[in-house]
Amino acid sequence: MSEFELSIIFPAFIACLLVLSTHVPLGMEVLRRGIIFIDLAIAQVAGLGVIAADTMGWEARGWMVQFAAVSAALIAAGILHWTDRRWPDIQEAIIGVAFVLAATAGILILAGNPHGGEHLKELLVGQVLWVNIDQLLPVFVISVLVVAAWFWKREHMHGLGFYALFAFAVTASVQLVGIYLVFASLIIPALATRHVERRWLRMICGYAVGIVGCLAGLVLSIGADLPAGAIVVWSLAITALIFAWLVWPLLRTRSTS
Amino acid sequence: MTRFIAVLVALWLPVSANALNVFSCEPEWAALVEELAGGNVEITEATTAFQDPHMLQARPSLIAGARNADLLICTGADLEIGWLPLLLRRSGNPGIQPGSPGHFMAADHVRRIEIPASIDRSQGDVHPQGNPHIHLHPRNIERVAEALADRLAELDPANAESYRANADNFLQRWSDARTRWEERAEALAGMRLVSHHRSFSYLADWLDLDIVATLELKPGIPPSGAQLSRLLEQLTPAPPAGIIRAPFENEKPAHWLSDRLSIPVIEMAYTVGGADTATDLFGLYEHTISTLEEYRE
Repeated sequence: MSEFELSIIFPAFIACLLVLSTHVPLGMEVLRRGIIFIDLAIAQVAGLGVIAADTMGWEARGWMVQFAAVSAALIAAGILHWTDRRWPDIQEAIIGVAFVLAATAGILILAGNPHGGEHLKELLVGQVLWVNIDQLLPVFVISVLVVAAWFWKREHMHGLGFYALFAFAVTASVQLVGIYLVFASLIIPALATRHVERRWLRMICGYAVGIVGCLAGLVLSIGADLPAGAIVVWSLAITALIFAWLVWPLLRTRSTS
Repeated sequence: MTRFIAVLVALWLPVSANALNVFSCEPEWAALVEELAGGNVEITEATTAFQDPHMLQARPSLIAGARNADLLICTGADLEIGWLPLLLRRSGNPGIQPGSPGHFMAADHVRRIEIPASIDRSQGDVHPQGNPHIHLHPRNIERVAEALADRLAELDPANAESYRANADNFLQRWSDARTRWEERAEALAGMRLVSHHRSFSYLADWLDLDIVATLELKPGIPPSGAQLSRLLEQLTPAPPAGIIRAPFENEKPAHWLSDRLSIPVIEMAYTVGGADTATDLFGLYEHTISTLEEYRE
């Protein structure tokens, strides 16, 4: 690979790493709780927040957009935390309903204010190849804070703390890499390492699957000239299968024998 | 560091030694560059006729193409607002940024129509800079060709004469063809049509077609039930000749209306490559006129 091609995928790879850094641990919690569509719901509500801000007459740009998005996501996280405590057995269904309500509320508001649509697209359709190094700094700061909070105060991360961290992490990452890659990086490493029992080992394996899948996807995207986000989703899934069916069984038999 | 510079030089050298690298956002401008510069250029095409120029997925070759480009030619007037600024930033190529000679926006060189008198948010995704689908008016092609020939000459002075000669030759053939098209199109004047989006406004302006309605009542927003029923009510007493549609536009609304009014959906080429015979700008206009002739009332 030439330095030129490297310079195309380098920012995308860093974006991938930042997204994985928060999503691998959060994804394991999401999978444990069985609320896998929460990222779609939170991202959609973040988008709705931006449309609503635009409709209320703020010409939302830059930090204002982020503020509106994160506020909406945090409100949604608060409500979902409350429903989680009130009706834990139907939480996944409530999250699904929250997703369609947020998505369709966007359509209804946009019927009167189409310009918000541009913001919605900006927010939900991030494309990993378009990422610039200077966009990564705020996401880096957020990721460090989220990861630090996660590992430092892990025992508090079951209630509101989890939902709040999730709101920050998803709002930041969806703008970089788009909703498909957010979903994939959250769920796929957690799924692949389902049978790894020791918590720290599982975390390391999850990060490894994510990093290998992401790098392989970006290299394939250069080789085959395909849209990077979509091919990274596929390479994450294939890496996960290889790990779960080949690598992990081999590692396990070795360590037990 | 030296190796990095060596790579940069290696990337840059073949460009300056041989041909101009051109990055074209839409097929119509790639076709025009082809007419004016022929074998002198390497063209990277960002979209095909089957892709909506409003939206684009990022592929590595797009960034590579923009990074290597000596000339970026796009429509402008906000048509590519959703992705071109990102691509320009990501390309890191100072030569094609706004304001530099390598940044050529076709719509800057023509008189645009449908410029809203006031920007009212209730009117839909209106472009404050006017309708950007400029390439279906032959006068616009002429104006852009003249400006583009000057720009190519400025960027590549060694071949300036050849660009000017090609442009003269093209403009001569184009104006002959335009006269023929206008003669044929006299019979099309007043033809009543429905369009999906305002993609054909310049064509209608040129040929005096009557676009009685657009399916997207507000551009970019799906119509409501009340709007559709009003549209049906408005069109039923005197159904138009057909519904014109570009290859990348959603076909469902067109077929819905076509079933209810028993009028045909007319598949237009819209741009170069949008139909088998539309292999260049002449082919595109030929196809456009003959398609409309086929459905004339």
